[in-house]
Amino acid sequence: MSNSHLFLPSGFLRTPLQNGLGRYIPQLQRITLKFCKNHGGSRGVRDFIESDLMEFAKTNPGTVVYLKPRRHRSPCMVAEYLNGEREYLSCHEFSRDEVHKWLSYMCTRSGIPVMRFRKYQHTDYPTVQGVWNPFTHQAPEINVAEFPHGVLSKPIDHGQTATEQLIEIFKKTQIEDPVNKPSN
Amino acid sequence: MKRNFKAHWVAPTLREFKRRKVIEEDRSGGPKIFHRSTFLEWNYDAEIFAFSNRLGEKFDDSSLRAALTHKSYIEREKARLSDIGLDSNLHFQDNEALSQKGGEMMSKFINGYLRAVFTQVPEELISAMHDFLTSNSTLETVAKHIGLGDLMLCADFPCKTETYVKSFKAIIAALAESSGEERARIFVQDLVVTQLYGQDVNELWNPVDPVGNLAAILKREGKAEPEFRLIRQAGSNSILAVYYVGVYSDKHFISEGAGESLEIAKEMAAREALKKFFHTEDSMRALPFGRQLKNIQSKIEQLENQPNLPFSEWISEKVMSAVH
Repeated sequence: MSNSHLFLPSGFLRTPLQNGLGRYIPQLQRITLKFCKNHGGSRGVRDFIESDLMEFAKTNPGTVVYLKPRRHRSPCMVAEYLNGEREYLSCHEFSRDEVHKWLSYMCTRSGIPVMRFRKYQHTDYPTVQGVWNPFTHQAPEINVAEFPHGVLSKPIDHGQTATEQLIEIFKKTQIEDPVNKPSN
Repeated sequence: MKRNFKAHWVAPTLREFKRRKVIEEDRSGGPKIFHRSTFLEWNYDAEIFAFSNRLGEKFDDSSLRAALTHKSYIEREKARLSDIGLDSNLHFQDNEALSQKGGEMMSKFINGYLRAVFTQVPEELISAMHDFLTSNSTLETVAKHIGLGDLMLCADFPCKTETYVKSFKAIIAALAESSGEERARIFVQDLVVTQLYGQDVNELWNPVDPVGNLAAILKREGKAEPEFRLIRQAGSNSILAVYYVGVYSDKHFISEGAGESLEIAKEMAAREALKKFFHTEDSMRALPFGRQLKNIQSKIEQLENQPNLPFSEWISEKVMSAVH
């Protein structure tokens, strides 16, 4: 039930430089695709470069794409973000669609490391009316009241006790004393 | 064999490498860092193209390159070429003039925004907020997170704070030259002014002698002088004493403040009253950013050269009502 056994760091939602508040700046600075021109493990990457890479570069003009053909090396992609973080991902034996998927995943991330979100919302202004303290909504009469007080010492919504109700009923049903009644 | 099998000599070798590396780093004072341009995969033209597209702005190529070139870099290149013996009439332009102009423009735009959003605030608080936004640390953070660190041509590496700040100011001036002052204003609003979000403005400036100043303001407005009354108290004989003091003017409640002693509570109450006048309480309206500024851009432009009332002359009749 607890998360203490996880090595994944946890934190609250944040974004670098209040991104999105003024304008949205895509955080992916540059991406380097390293692949082999012959080996079979790079086939997906090669197919992606031949077909989908130009479209990707056109839709993300804020990201520099570097291609690094290296013989006898397995393919990988290294994403560099504006806050200086780097993300390495091995693309060995990926299909063309998988490369596209992971590339678009890198695009949408900020460089903040993957972490477990403790809450899915964040605010810098948690209260508008002010945090409750014991003096909120207290009657000002308590300042000059002598305790025990007839009204303030009792619970607010006390209501009549059973005994008091019986006394009331008795008083209503009482026959009036003919001596006290003024004679007509 | 297991997938992670390594020969018996691998681990000790790596351990020895690590040990020698640590000694070398301690001797030279930190791990070796390399500028991104020393990598094989580096294309300065592509990086500049991506920089302007990332921000969604169009720059004149020559202005942008001039904004990113520092005098130290030009001097270093000249010295290097003259050492070799080549003729050093380089056509580089440095960013000194641009940075100066950009700094002035940025101050102007920030002041315009602050005065349009905080209409009821005295000029001292406006200049405190402006100083916070144009401080070296704030501008360095903004410059780093745009990606200027790899693009700047400068002799110092790792780049100093002043270099970042100069480049950023020069970028603003280059943008004004390329796309007009309107775009530069929006750029400053989107990148610099948003750093005010989450910052408590009352921490940036506190009025001295709030009690005396509150009395002066009320006197200027022709209202009765402020009366301080104890509203609540608890634990007066203990360390955790709390006193709530309320400020009243002609029996009308203005504000209340809490403190550990009566004097502190009185000062806090006066501070809260001033915050209420200036509309900078904790419950004040959220600051507008981005698209929310579309309707008040003309107002911002108008107020760039019109300072707010100073604290010593502040009076509520003379200040404008809120614009946004």
